[in-house]
Amino acid sequence: MSDAYSAAGRARWWGILAAACVIAVLPLVFRDSYWRTNLIVCALNVMLAIGLDFVVGYAGQLNLGQSAFYGIGAYVSTLLIMRLGLPFWPAFVCGVVASALSGMVLSLFAVRLRGHYLAIASLGFAVITYQVLLNWISLTQGPLGIYGIAPPPPVGLPGWQIDFTDLANLFYLVAGFALLSYVLLDQLVRSPIGETLTAIREDEVSAASLGINARLWKVFAFAVGTAVAGGAGCFYAGFVGTLVPDAFFITESFNILAMVIVGGMGTLSGPVFGAILLTVLPEFLRGIGDLRLIVYGLALTLVVLFMPGGIAQALRLARDRLMRASSRQTAGAKP
Amino acid sequence: MSDAAAIFRAVGLSKNFGGVRAVKDVSLAVAPATVFAIIGPNGAGKSTLLNLISGVHPPDAGTVMFNSLDVTALPPHARVRHGLARTFQKIRLFKQLSVIDNVVAGFHARHRIPAWQYVWHGTAFRADRARCRAEAAELLAFVGLSGRGQALAGALSYGEQRMLEIARALATAPRLLLIDEPAAGLNAAEVEALLERIRVLRQRGMAVVVVEHNMDLVMNVADRVLVMDYGEPLFEGTPAEVQVHPGVIAAYLGAES
Amino acid sequence: MLTVALQQGINGLVLGSLYVLVALGLTLIYGVLVQINFAHADIVTLGAFSAYFFTHAFGGGYLPSIAVALLVGAALGFLINAAVFAPLRERGNELLPLIATIGVSVMLENVMLAWFGPIPYAFDSPYSERVIRFGGMFFTAQSVLIIAVSAAAIGLLYAFMKFTFLGKALRAVAQDRETAGLMGINPNRVIMLTFVIASALAGMGGAMLGPVLVLTPFAGASVIVKAFAIVIIGGFGNVEGTIIAGLIVGLIESYTTQVLGPGLIDIVVFALLLLMLAVRPTGLIAERREENV
Ligand SMILES: Nc1ncnc2c1ncn2[C@@H]1O[C@H](COP(=O)(O)OP(=O)(O)O)[C@@H](O)[C@H]1O
Ligand SMILES: [Mg+2]
Repeated sequence: MSDAYSAAGRARWWGILAAACVIAVLPLVFRDSYWRTNLIVCALNVMLAIGLDFVVGYAGQLNLGQSAFYGIGAYVSTLLIMRLGLPFWPAFVCGVVASALSGMVLSLFAVRLRGHYLAIASLGFAVITYQVLLNWISLTQGPLGIYGIAPPPPVGLPGWQIDFTDLANLFYLVAGFALLSYVLLDQLVRSPIGETLTAIREDEVSAASLGINARLWKVFAFAVGTAVAGGAGCFYAGFVGTLVPDAFFITESFNILAMVIVGGMGTLSGPVFGAILLTVLPEFLRGIGDLRLIVYGLALTLVVLFMPGGIAQALRLARDRLMRASSRQTAGAKP
Repeated sequence: MSDAAAIFRAVGLSKNFGGVRAVKDVSLAVAPATVFAIIGPNGAGKSTLLNLISGVHPPDAGTVMFNSLDVTALPPHARVRHGLARTFQKIRLFKQLSVIDNVVAGFHARHRIPAWQYVWHGTAFRADRARCRAEAAELLAFVGLSGRGQALAGALSYGEQRMLEIARALATAPRLLLIDEPAAGLNAAEVEALLERIRVLRQRGMAVVVVEHNMDLVMNVADRVLVMDYGEPLFEGTPAEVQVHPGVIAAYLGAES
Repeated sequence: MLTVALQQGINGLVLGSLYVLVALGLTLIYGVLVQINFAHADIVTLGAFSAYFFTHAFGGGYLPSIAVALLVGAALGFLINAAVFAPLRERGNELLPLIATIGVSVMLENVMLAWFGPIPYAFDSPYSERVIRFGGMFFTAQSVLIIAVSAAAIGLLYAFMKFTFLGKALRAVAQDRETAGLMGINPNRVIMLTFVIASALAGMGGAMLGPVLVLTPFAGASVIVKAFAIVIIGGFGNVEGTIIAGLIVGLIESYTTQVLGPGLIDIVVFALLLLMLAVRPTGLIAERREENV
């Protein structure tokens, strides 16, 4: 049994290595700034989606406020840089921590609330955050937005300077963090923490009967999932260069949720594909009006109705069918 | 029973739901390595009593002592760490998880992994994992589910699900195991196997509280029997005493007719 | 000063009674099904648009347009139940229907956006111009109409729930679906009926909110988040609590606008919601239930 585990573990490291190779090659394939910009958006969305999936797919807590944590990371880091002159990386850490702390505060509601109540509380939290960003004009400049945000500072290696005004380098940075977040979350869900969170998702009363403190673990799940979103927010600010509250409106939460559901919640690789698909696919539909959000909505509904496990489930089904077909072939070849 | 002998003691437990007095002034004490049966007709308050003991509901009155420690104010998950485990009358497995993962979830409080190894799976992590898997396989064998480890819990038959719930509870390494109507929906052979397993647990020193509405079933295995009716304790004694107690017979005949 | 406060109070109650219409639908559905229809928002919007087109494009009267919106709402409710909630019922997952209707909502809003455009429609009700003076205060006939129609609708709903067989069946299903089934009530039909009634109320609310709101494809969304706050403050599934909470939220909105400025409405309402969830998650009229284990 432990053999099967280490085999799966090795396969996973090969997968991660492959992902790293793909990340390395992508900016070389896509050389125009339009597609490189999209690549960065993909990487940001991957971070947002896997962070949300940790909370929704594993711990089973429907968080409709991911847009707010994204925004908190973005605004906190940017304001620290622009108002207090903090360097990027300390501000990045503060943004992540601020996001995680607000996630923990929200999760304290999740402690007493389950299911729908939490969904609405988190939606309310997202509405409040958005309205604060919009109305606290002396701090955030409200709907006018904050302009001229610098990208992360260049990293100097001996004889080689990595400059993040170059979109390819910025993509390496963000995608690197996305991969790092993925590995971190993957390690967590493959540890006993994964079973603990799933137990809470499946049945809290039952989980408590096994000594699981659901309160504590929900706070933990929120802290981790929203920290990743906060990190994405910090990069977003440096990447786009401007911050307006509308970027963190509640519909953004729904978009991230769509990525998780379409990819397959409760798996980590699924939402990665979901995020990439729902970022790239609408780009091809650009000619036909603003179909992006119609596609998101339609995909969300259809997947829930007809393929609740999302892309991950579809891939699994396809693989099983292939294996069955090939085993039938070898069986047929024998006599 | 003297205080020192009892692993568990409840005094004057009461619980109302709205106007329904589900449990009224019930006291009991359970010694290690014994089987304590709680019987009574449907609606007598047996499950509610179990919920008070395990902490699912807070009692309106009364105290719950575990190893001479007052645990009345502790939430259910904290009681598990004192050695208390339970199953549910209405089966509550993690249906989307595999059989073995259900049992492994029961090891929650017993992992020995340094915090950083949750992020970087090292030697201690792997050793812990191997230990849990091996122990889980043993527990599955004990409840007769060897070889079913990879099936989804929801795909098991009803009787198998009951056994899996017991295995999952045992994974917490309890000293007191509460089982609620374990024989419901089991066929005769399965019931016999279940009783045998309860005897083995007693032999290992575990205290087992069995809730059952079928009186005959527990007579062969119980050391002491508490009879409940309308939330109240009707009689407590040995199975032999219970069988001839006129009040008990009347309650059961009344419930049956 | 007092007149201003009173005037604001009445404006708040007018708005609040519209919120009640919308929130009651959510509460009815929650009571029977323990589910949330996120697309309820878009039923409000489509109710408003159908009333707008009925009056402005086809020259219909405003009162009949409320009836049109009611029918449109009822039809949408029927469709959403049939397309989303009914198929998902067997899966027994608490959150999937909510997620699916988020998708429906995002889709409907953006289809409307493609169709109607982002520019707000000027929905003029003939009753908005007629002003009634009373003790130094001004009301439009529209306000009186809103209060009258909402009160009538709520009263009818109440009578329906209390006195008709279907209403009783609805409450029976809300209490215990299995037992209701045994009593010969078809729960699926009752659930369908609940959706139709709930959505008819929302459509009707939309027709009356149309002249008040900035009528865009997202008009309903701004109402629905408040309706969520209302159902939670009132206690999910609790009709009386919803009515009280709806009026309170209307008042809060009116006074917040007066005292703090309109930008802060959502902040105040949702701060109240989060506070409520923290101190009294069962709502204003508490029904303490312990899960049956
Ligand atoms: N969570 C609850 N809420 C309301 N009433 C309950 C709850 N749990 C149990 N009851 C009531 O308490 C009484 C005892 O029930 P229970 O303990 O389940 O009996 P038993 O397990 O002996 O069949 C019954 O009348 C039941 O309806
Ligand atoms: Mg019982």
